[in-house]
Amino acid sequence: MNDLESLLREDARAGLADDGFCARAVAALPARNPLPGAWLRPALIIGSAAIGSVAALLLAPAGASLVQGFSDLATLRALTPAAVTALGVGGALLASALVLVLDSD
Amino acid sequence: MSLPAESSDAELILAILERDDRRAFAALVARHQSRVRTALRRLTRGDVALADDLAQETFILAWRNLRKFRFEARFSTWLYRIAFNAWQSEARKKREVLLDLDDGALPPGPDGAVETPDLAARMDLERAFEILTDGERAAIAACYYADLSHEEAAQALGIPLGTVKTHVLRAKAKLKARLTEKELP
Repeated sequence: MNDLESLLREDARAGLADDGFCARAVAALPARNPLPGAWLRPALIIGSAAIGSVAALLLAPAGASLVQGFSDLATLRALTPAAVTALGVGGALLASALVLVLDSD
Repeated sequence: MSLPAESSDAELILAILERDDRRAFAALVARHQSRVRTALRRLTRGDVALADDLAQETFILAWRNLRKFRFEARFSTWLYRIAFNAWQSEARKKREVLLDLDDGALPPGPDGAVETPDLAARMDLERAFEILTDGERAAIAACYYADLSHEEAAQALGIPLGTVKTHVLRAKAKLKARLTEKELP
């Protein structure tokens, strides 16, 4: 013999089979709005990389060009002013890309 | 990234907030669907289709508003509040839902025990819920089916603690009377 208390608790505990409810509920979920300010982080990363690249170009010794730099790097001359400039710009862009990829994981 | 099956509600919620992780939300739905749906079935007087529609609406609202969850209460309390509000809005479309209504004295009834809780007894219980007022049904659904304490139920239903206790006492007296009545030849 069980009293009403037990009956209520047993009824509550009995549980309902999922019967596809979970899949239906998840399928009906709307897309969520991005977090407020979620754009800020990638914007800061890309902005910093752009500023770094421009600074590397401006501060590079006169005559150093990116094309020349990459050409020097291709011929394994990594210590010419143009190659250092190209390394700085390429490194900044690569670092920002890596940060963004890791961040979106 | 996969989540361990035993992840707490808080861990799942954080995964959803940080990564919009639908698998984590699916785990939350799987964990809470039974109680939410059962509570809504009792609230809707056994209307299975309506209860499931309201349960689905509950989880969609939870997904939309998860950032408003402050971890101050249990997730189930918060979820039940959403479910209760969904039921209340639906019921209001048809008629007024009065949770604070005091509809008179406790019903008379013998102090006898109720039969064993087998399937038939549970079906009788489901039918007996029909004699309860909205407030009584909501209080019983919150305290037994959603497994909330009286304080949590008061918070979820937005009514005073004393009213929750009164509703639970009255509802149990009515249910006991109805179920015992059925046992008599």
